[in-house]
Amino acid sequence: MRITAGISKKLTSGRIFLYNHFMGTLQKYYKQSATYKIFKGMFELFADFLDTLGKITVNGIQVIKCILKGQIDKKELIYQCSRFGVSSLPITLTIVGMTSIIITSQVALEMVKQGGGNFIGMMMSILIVREVAVIMSGFAIISMIGSSLASELATMRVTEQIDAIKVLKVDPVGYLFVPRVLSGIIMMPFVTIIAAAVGVIAGAITSDLFAGLSYMAYFDSAWLGIYMKDLWVSLLKAVFFGGTIALISCSCGYFASGGAKGVGLATTKAVVWSFVAIVIWDMIFAIAFFF
Amino acid sequence: MSIEVKNLVKKFGNKTVIDNVSFKVNDKETLAIVGFSGSGKSTVLKLICGLIPKDSGEIITSEGDIAMVFQYSALFDSLDVEDNIAFALHERRDLRKKYSEEQIKEIVAQKLELVGLKGIEKLYPSELSGGMQKRVSFARAIVTEPKSILYDEPTAGLDPISSTLIEDYIVRLKEETNAASIVVTHQMSTITRTADRVIMLYNGKIVFEGTPDDMLKQDNEYTKQFVTASLDGPMKMMEE
Repeated sequence: MRITAGISKKLTSGRIFLYNHFMGTLQKYYKQSATYKIFKGMFELFADFLDTLGKITVNGIQVIKCILKGQIDKKELIYQCSRFGVSSLPITLTIVGMTSIIITSQVALEMVKQGGGNFIGMMMSILIVREVAVIMSGFAIISMIGSSLASELATMRVTEQIDAIKVLKVDPVGYLFVPRVLSGIIMMPFVTIIAAAVGVIAGAITSDLFAGLSYMAYFDSAWLGIYMKDLWVSLLKAVFFGGTIALISCSCGYFASGGAKGVGLATTKAVVWSFVAIVIWDMIFAIAFFF
Repeated sequence: MSIEVKNLVKKFGNKTVIDNVSFKVNDKETLAIVGFSGSGKSTVLKLICGLIPKDSGEIITSEGDIAMVFQYSALFDSLDVEDNIAFALHERRDLRKKYSEEQIKEIVAQKLELVGLKGIEKLYPSELSGGMQKRVSFARAIVTEPKSILYDEPTAGLDPISSTLIEDYIVRLKEETNAASIVVTHQMSTITRTADRVIMLYNGKIVFEGTPDDMLKQDNEYTKQFVTASLDGPMKMMEE
């Protein structure tokens, strides 16, 4: 019995050795395979997505707490409002105006030919007030202000300025996030209103030039197409867009690491996340209010 | 006692950066922490002032503020010198109501005079030399009357004369504030001119503790290698 047990033991240890060797080799080759690399990359992306989402949410909650407690630096808020509103206005108006000209020039003549000239103003005003003004303003603000906020905070992070704020016992969320997020919430609706006005006017000029439609006919039709609900939903959307862009940009910058590369990565992340976030918000608003 | 560290441990991933480190720094005393790059010196400072969480151990500090002077000054580049120094007085809720604007201006002028930079209140950090930036960061650190001051490589990147000036200010600030100070440094002149005691870290552990004179005696293999800047010795730069 003892002899048999010894042989069996040897056989078992041999099998274990072979099994381990086989599995080790398999693992080695598997780790070099494209499938493994793709899945690993996807997992890392998903982990990073959850990590970023969590950080943005936590910062958002802290910002709301600070606002509710009235911890607002008014001097900094005024500065950030001027930065958010005034600096972004020229590029925003250019983009919205151009978009309006492009759309009107594509459709105005066709609509007049088909006998729908009287509906051009209506179509343009609905399109611009509901969507073009707010979403194009959002895109312009992401590229101008969002990227600037992210790179500013990321630079502060890598040059230890944020650590200095913490050591001086000043709340970095209260000092850095609150004025920036509030300025986004306050200024984005103003930018959107001005952009919408510019867009509708640009549509009128283009309709006149391309399709010979009178200003009177355009604005009569535009006036009929717009309801107060369109305006309020658009402004509410602007509030959400402004706050989201500022919050995402600040969060991405705040958690930057490394040197110049880290600043670049944080800025890219802020821009990509902000673009995706405002499109998601836009979809939610479209379903909630116009479906 | 102003700062006491007991059995402090900090790991980054699987690597133990600070391994069971203990020391004390009394009021009006300056402790220099020396060692090679990557030996965990700056991590100790960040753990003491709460910038990173510890894994285990105890950090006991006297009641009151802990100030830190950063390696590259870390001045707020969008604020002028006056606003940099007055930052905590303007932004901290407990200090905001304590001082009027006039008093804040007076405090800033007083702190600037202490670091020998009178009349530069309206300049921006980018308009200052490295040594001046460092002295402004000293002024910003002491504006809240801290009980402990931590210096992270205060003379790094400065010329020898500027280094001497900074070292003199470290000694002067200790005398003026009676604070417990910790200076992380590589430079022998900073150790000999500012420190009352020295500890040396290697691989996260204390390998020497004594006075600057003891360090120069070279009885210890580690300090001997450090002082002579030799490649031969127990400390290896590229250790895994």
